[in-house]
Amino acid sequence: MSDTQWPRYEVFVQERPGRPHQHAGSVHAPDPEMALLNARDVFVRRPECASLWVAPSATVRGGTAEELSQLVAAPVSEEGSPDIEYLVFAKLEERGTLAHVGEVHATGPDDALAAAKAAASRPPLALWVVPAARVERTLPEEAASMFDPSRHKPFRDQAFYHIQTALRRLRRDPLPIASLQNRGKKR
Amino acid sequence: MTDDERLAHFEARIGRGEKIEPGDWMPPEYRRQLIRMISQHAHSEIVGMLPEGGWITMAPSLRRKLVLVAKVQDEGGHGQYLYHAAETLGISREEMIEALHSGKAKYSSIFNYPARSWADIGVIGWFVDGAAILNQTMLARSSYGPYARAMVRISAEESFHNKQGIEIVLALIEGTPTQRAMAQDAVNRWWWPTLMMFGPHDSESPNTPALVRWGIKTRSNDELRQEFVNQTVPQAEAMRLSLPDPDLRFDESTGNWRFGEIDWGEFWRVVGGDGPCNRERLQARRAAHEDGLWVREAMAAYAARA
Amino acid sequence: MNLELRLPLADALLRLADDEMILAHRDSEWTGHAPILEEDIAFANIALDEMGHAGVWYRLVAELRGEDPDTHPDQLVFHRALDEFRCLRLVELPKGDWAFTIVRQFLFDSAEVVRLQALRRSEYPPLAKAAAKIAIEERYHDRHLRAWVRRLGLGTEESHRRMQAALDQLWPYATQLFEPQVSESELVAAGLFPASEPMAAEWAEAAAAILADADLKIPTVGPGMNGGRENHTDHLEPLLAEMQSVARLEPQASW
Repeated sequence: MSDTQWPRYEVFVQERPGRPHQHAGSVHAPDPEMALLNARDVFVRRPECASLWVAPSATVRGGTAEELSQLVAAPVSEEGSPDIEYLVFAKLEERGTLAHVGEVHATGPDDALAAAKAAASRPPLALWVVPAARVERTLPEEAASMFDPSRHKPFRDQAFYHIQTALRRLRRDPLPIASLQNRGKKR
Repeated sequence: MTDDERLAHFEARIGRGEKIEPGDWMPPEYRRQLIRMISQHAHSEIVGMLPEGGWITMAPSLRRKLVLVAKVQDEGGHGQYLYHAAETLGISREEMIEALHSGKAKYSSIFNYPARSWADIGVIGWFVDGAAILNQTMLARSSYGPYARAMVRISAEESFHNKQGIEIVLALIEGTPTQRAMAQDAVNRWWWPTLMMFGPHDSESPNTPALVRWGIKTRSNDELRQEFVNQTVPQAEAMRLSLPDPDLRFDESTGNWRFGEIDWGEFWRVVGGDGPCNRERLQARRAAHEDGLWVREAMAAYAARA
Repeated sequence: MNLELRLPLADALLRLADDEMILAHRDSEWTGHAPILEEDIAFANIALDEMGHAGVWYRLVAELRGEDPDTHPDQLVFHRALDEFRCLRLVELPKGDWAFTIVRQFLFDSAEVVRLQALRRSEYPPLAKAAAKIAIEERYHDRHLRAWVRRLGLGTEESHRRMQAALDQLWPYATQLFEPQVSESELVAAGLFPASEPMAAEWAEAAAAILADADLKIPTVGPGMNGGRENHTDHLEPLLAEMQSVARLEPQASW
């Protein structure tokens, strides 16, 4: 058996209810359940997160603006061809990231990408389509144990440390020791 | 489009401040430089877990312990974000790890120095993370989208790393003579290696011009190094800690702290693999990888049958 | 609360605190050495949570004893002698391989889930509140540990062998998890602390089910570990020497 770092799963984080899930990065995991748990440990060390989605990277069909400009509209689907739901993620701003914008139904990934591009309100800078059936999501009843703990770790917030105050105080009331001379200690 | 036209178009995009995303056309050299830089950066975070991770069990208060675990965990997370950014360029994590373990890939030399005392943990946070923040702030403006986004996330998480280090040092310098001496000793050992973190002088840095033109590196090694010195000397002064450089003096005309020459012999020796802990660090990473083989295989086997 | 029960309750919580602290010490030994990066990050999270829980219990101990909750916890952790610790022997054992660590963590965390559910009903409000909050984190640990136990128990022949070997070694120590304690009956009668026996039964059933699903056999053991929590393995002394080494350099100092 060959040793691998396990497959990659793309991770989408919803910061607050009602906001779109945004692409945050990826995790390596052997299966969807571990991907969800790993995503929580990697991406939810700080608030805020209300919901987490993961999908195998291999199932993501993406296109950048350049690639999409060459995309030909898919032929009209024939009777009996599959009708698959895809989630659509689009990057619309230079400084933004891919965010969930909606769903399309299509016969396959290329068709889905074309449909997503056609449905976009303006030319996206990047576009991803992911089969909805392959997206693993946190359930609402899990939210407390998945996401609350990150709110109770104030020491991860730089505001927990009052360094400027301490340094200012030291400058005002210097320590009562002579400062050590350190000549010639250069290595 | 010819390659020349593609290159001109690519450079115009960067000039306009546009982000290059995975799948966009990019010159092979851009891809190569980014893979090198990003994977090196990722390896640094992972190796960086070792000197501090070893002190968690000896952290001298509950608060210090909690904070140190959180910091080391962050470093793992940062390595993870960076491996992801490199993977978007077409290299696999298996390849990157193989390169690290075989000694082919580099990582920041600062982590080849040992953490000898508890005070080292404070000084590492103060100096090394202080230096890293300057670097990261620059890289957050990188032209490559996934790298920039990873750096934005890292920067937001990093500032507590620097502050917790200073907090440790403050406790030491306001403590007993033994504690103060411990802090001064750590400063004496970490100052020059930290200055070396910024790399060779700009004039000796072969990669820099391309990186600047393509919006990967927007500030030079020497610029960042000077900024680090300017920000840190006043902090050391406030804490009555001396820095091991007899040539350190303030230049009124430029507003800069002028400092002595780095021992480039030491720099190149450590970069070349002959630092105090190079072998130990790689051995630890290789051992973790080898010992973990049966785990990775078992988890994969279970998934294959599910 | 009956004032006479404050100190026995503090003692009961000290046991929980010491368990979390020593286990967190063992967990944190894995940082930078786990089988894969994601597991390093995940396990560091568990260690962090355990340390946080230790802190919560130590603070309650301080409050019940009339000590300063800001300083007493560090006193307890860094300046008590070995024979004053009240942790389980289970948590003192060296970390072993990943299978040993996972099985030990699973046995401990699955017991915590049961214990915390019961503690939420304590008549001492600060304890009930703390238990409710800690239970939320433990629920996540439990999910993660169960996932690992199942996958490693069923994964490959090697992982199964290692998991079974770990369980064979650890199960005798698990019998100490719900050993009835001194002063327990008074605390139980006052509704302050749950009775051990019902928890033991509930835990054994839940743990057995998870282990069976992972094809792991619970060894038949002779009489369980004897002696109370004042008795420790040989592993605790070097552990404490390491844990307390820096703090004891300057015992009166602040770090």
